[in-house]
Amino acid sequence: MSADHSILVTGATGLLGRDVLARLLAADSRLRAFVLVRDLGRWCRTARELGSERRVIPVHGDLCADGLGMEPNARAAICRDVTAIIHLAADTTFSSPLDRARAVNTLGTQRVLEIADDCETSVRVAYVSTAFVAGRRTGVIAEDLQAANAGWVNAYEQSKYEAERLVMDQAASWVILRSSTVVCDDVSGEVTQTNAVHRALNLYRHGLVAMMPGVVGSTVDAVTTAFVADGIARLALRSDASGKVVHLCAGEGALPLVELLDITYERWATNPAWRKRGIVRPAITDLTTYSLFERTIAQVGDPSLKRIAGALSHFVPHLALPKRFDTTNADALLGRGAPRVRDFWIPMLDHMHAQGAASPIARVA
Amino acid sequence: MTAAPPGIAGISAIAYALPAQQRSLRELHALGQLESDPALLEQFGFSHVYVAEEETPYSLALEAARALLHEYSVAPDSIDTLLYCGTPSVAFAAAGSAVDATSHISSTQRFQYPATRLQYDLDLECVSTFALDQLACTSLFSAVRVARALVETGDARRVLCVSSEFFPVGAGREAIYNCTADAACAVLVDHSADRNRILASAHTTKGYYWQGDAMRNEIVASYFPTAKHVIEETLRRARWRPDEVTWVIPHNISIRSWEILLGLTGIPRERLWCRNIARIGHTLAGDNFINLRDAVSDGSVRPGDRLLLFSYGYGAHWTALALEA
Repeated sequence: MSADHSILVTGATGLLGRDVLARLLAADSRLRAFVLVRDLGRWCRTARELGSERRVIPVHGDLCADGLGMEPNARAAICRDVTAIIHLAADTTFSSPLDRARAVNTLGTQRVLEIADDCETSVRVAYVSTAFVAGRRTGVIAEDLQAANAGWVNAYEQSKYEAERLVMDQAASWVILRSSTVVCDDVSGEVTQTNAVHRALNLYRHGLVAMMPGVVGSTVDAVTTAFVADGIARLALRSDASGKVVHLCAGEGALPLVELLDITYERWATNPAWRKRGIVRPAITDLTTYSLFERTIAQVGDPSLKRIAGALSHFVPHLALPKRFDTTNADALLGRGAPRVRDFWIPMLDHMHAQGAASPIARVA
Repeated sequence: MTAAPPGIAGISAIAYALPAQQRSLRELHALGQLESDPALLEQFGFSHVYVAEEETPYSLALEAARALLHEYSVAPDSIDTLLYCGTPSVAFAAAGSAVDATSHISSTQRFQYPATRLQYDLDLECVSTFALDQLACTSLFSAVRVARALVETGDARRVLCVSSEFFPVGAGREAIYNCTADAACAVLVDHSADRNRILASAHTTKGYYWQGDAMRNEIVASYFPTAKHVIEETLRRARWRPDEVTWVIPHNISIRSWEILLGLTGIPRERLWCRNIARIGHTLAGDNFINLRDAVSDGSVRPGDRLLLFSYGYGAHWTALALEA
């Protein structure tokens, strides 16, 4: 780009946001970024890692506060200078109740759009969403607006779906970048940040997962931080991505659920001490049977079993709702697809094991 | 393991004996013998259990075995092997008293075995006698599997398997949301049975779970996938599809647990013969065979029906049999 230009980034202290910001700054020496941060102490740590403090201006604020809780001067500077907003900040907790998820993800996005609307120039809004706004839909999930919904597995998905609608309806220029589930940093398999997938794997490893919902054709779509961050950094500001929904997903490279359980089991079974326990693969069953099991645990399980079932209930139903995320837009715009899940799954398991597994029950609490 | 050739081994006779006393869940609750709310246990299919007060494990074992010999006109000298399973140290004590057990095992009384006494009292002059232990609710299954092997290898022609399992007087009557009952059951495995031919079996033991109380969550988690595996393996050996099973003859645990397991295995839920869960409760080792006899008696099971029997034993064992009725 020929002249200095400014963007606003939310969620820059998160694992993904930090990576995106670093890539943007590295790619464009004229770029300046305002970053909306709720915790300035946390931002200081991020800034040290980025090493580009002069071009990054932290602005204290909160998605849940009116006007994003920014000081008037900061807001004025943003409205004067910013030409694009990359909105990554979100409450990604699957177990959040709908009102809490909406407060951050939907209403927070509304407040970001209001800032965009107040800007002096037409602002591009790059909204980082989740591929799982598809919720309970099955089959091929296209990179487009979803006129009808089939319901959602958790409130996170619903709140992100609702936020997408706001972006599409209100932003003058937008791109929706839907990420699949991030499970490791890159194809080396290193895991900097654990999430529900790792906790579920940990439960499996400790023989605490009796069953999972699933059907023939169920797959697990997962991606690396590096792939998603690269995709966001490259597409957020590109004009040819405007008005498009882009799936940053494994797509065809998703791993069949049965194969995933098998290769995971076989990897752990290379440890004789683990194999000796006789832990079995979780049974794969229909949603009706799984729901009956869940209900029974809720009725009679001890507190730790209830926590385990509760933790799984917010995302494992997807396994019985087979879907494949179409990545036509992503492949065309990025010029390549995501790494296949089977290429980083085993390294990721090895990294998890090397990091040590704490009590799985404590970690789902 | 391969399917048995026709006419080689089958269950030709079953008899059982229950204590005189039957108690409702409400009565057990009032006596402090349940951990859970009776209403919850009723949701899981339980209603009454048989509780021994005057009977001993041995007296019921003898009653069941005598009933078998009498009802089926089995000549004692036609039996060549006796297989007993149960808790020998309290076999002669009223209602299996735990206090009596201590004195038994502290003296030569410990060598007073119910298996040998049964051989004497039943006039089984020609039989070799032995016992199985430490198999919990799968002990009678294991006895039948051993009997089948003896018959198929020609080491025996007719094997009488007897189990008798009691809880001590005043003991809790609930094990992981299942209501336990006292009972004895006798099963005759014959080399030339016309009915209940044993087509296949499968058994899995996982010693990792030997500390049942300390690993309760792990056991709950492993129960279903391992049960599914054992049932599928049994069906594979019998060359049956899940929907070809006419009746599932269960151990009398929670109906909810059975509904989940049938959902996992793809066996239609209406194929579960579950009438005795409410009437008798979980008699540990005897359930499936008591149920088989009653399912035949009430006309549910007809010749040629395909029967799947499955049980789980704490400690931990998963076991199944495929029978052609």
